[in-house]
Amino acid sequence: MLNPAKTMTPVQDDFEPKIVAFLCKWCSSAGSDLAGVSRLQYPPNAVPIQVMCSGSVSPLYIMSAFKKGADGVLVSGCHPGDCHYMKGNYFARRRLFLVQKLLNFVGLEKDRFRMSWVSAAEGAKFAEVVGDFVRDIKALGPQRRLKVRR
Amino acid sequence: MVSIEELRACAAKLLDEGKVKAVIGYRRGSAGLLAEPCVIDQPADAESLIWDPGCVHNLALYLVKDKKAQAASKTPDKRPLAVVAKGCDSRAVAVLLQENFFKREDVVVIGVSCEGTGVVDARKLAAKLKGRTASQVEFDGADGFKVTIGNTESRVPASEILADRCLECRAPSPVLNDVLFGAAVEQRELATPFTAVKVAEAASEEERWASWEHHFDRCLRCFACRSVCPMCYCPECVVDSTSFVITAETSAEDKANRVRWCERSAGSGESALYHLTRAMHLAGRCVDCGECERVCPVNIPLRLLNTKLEMEAFEMFEYQAGRDVSQASLLSSFRDEDPNSFVR
Repeated sequence: MLNPAKTMTPVQDDFEPKIVAFLCKWCSSAGSDLAGVSRLQYPPNAVPIQVMCSGSVSPLYIMSAFKKGADGVLVSGCHPGDCHYMKGNYFARRRLFLVQKLLNFVGLEKDRFRMSWVSAAEGAKFAEVVGDFVRDIKALGPQRRLKVRR
Repeated sequence: MVSIEELRACAAKLLDEGKVKAVIGYRRGSAGLLAEPCVIDQPADAESLIWDPGCVHNLALYLVKDKKAQAASKTPDKRPLAVVAKGCDSRAVAVLLQENFFKREDVVVIGVSCEGTGVVDARKLAAKLKGRTASQVEFDGADGFKVTIGNTESRVPASEILADRCLECRAPSPVLNDVLFGAAVEQRELATPFTAVKVAEAASEEERWASWEHHFDRCLRCFACRSVCPMCYCPECVVDSTSFVITAETSAEDKANRVRWCERSAGSGESALYHLTRAMHLAGRCVDCGECERVCPVNIPLRLLNTKLEMEAFEMFEYQAGRDVSQASLLSSFRDEDPNSFVR
């Protein structure tokens, strides 16, 4: 949990980004488990949401996450060719390529949305992907563009 | 040139022979220079059909409305409908056929070719006339319009008052047609396609967001863009659920737990969600008929969002909506060589 006293005045240095990570059940979720079981150190900013397949991630999930104030959204699935459902990640790749282009087109920073292929054996890669993502987003600061102001 | 007499005769013949239950076309509008859509079911009424640069509407919308009405009706009239279609409208029909929304035998496409011109942009014309109001616009030759203001007529080059999408149009004559009026024009580019998108892209992220925030902030969420779009045919929209009926028995918990992707509250964030979701739902389906932008009461450049995705689909996946009825749709197909470098 973030300290509310700290989040009230977001200072660049102690800004802790909130990242929503959609992880596919068969590969990336297992990969993140492996990272934990292997006791790899990586930032705790990613909130994992297990989905059955990266192909099941609707663009609406991503836009909704940004709307609700996510600083970054990560979608992670099996490597091409390894999808449990044969071709779900190929569909995801095509669709999320367009989402990424569209979000950037309206002016959301490019680094806010990321996609990765992480297999069940790649705990270290998962830790690296999250680490890089957190580092890049810390440089950008809080996401205020698509977030709903109340 | 499209011969309006032949078009009228064709419509009357279709109705006379009972081949179609009605013809959807354009007739003279009661206000201003824009035509109005009309449904004709008597051969004698075919005389009111017109074809001029004021025929801006995408009539494929009425095929969708009819299909929905027939599906809800207890005594559906299964005879086909005829529709007057420009190049972009016929592409919309092709996308609907591709999606199996209706069958090929349910629609008779009366194609009209825009040839060297297209339809007029009322805003551009109003700016050009500086306060005067045109009562009629007609085709004049291959690249001009005859604008009637009061009793005076003047010739205006088409490129000055043509709608942006017509300038960028790659297929001005209907690819999908049962009968075609006017010359089949293969390639005609009055402006490079995707010019506006490329200009917008050249700005920095901050500038782009500043302009889009301004646009999203203005959005009234009147959903006119959704209502006028032939591709937005979902019975219930994901951002505006109407099937959740609140009765006396609905508990507070049910109300609190209903899925609301988009709240009713005003604000750029909610509007952004709506417009971005709509753009994604139209990816590979939008035929660039420009109706959403035309009907927007607050002038949001909605075409930009759709053409951006159209451009990506064309450049990265060589996909053009409505080109071919038998092609697999953009998001339900893939290739091994799709871009992968953006993935970590």
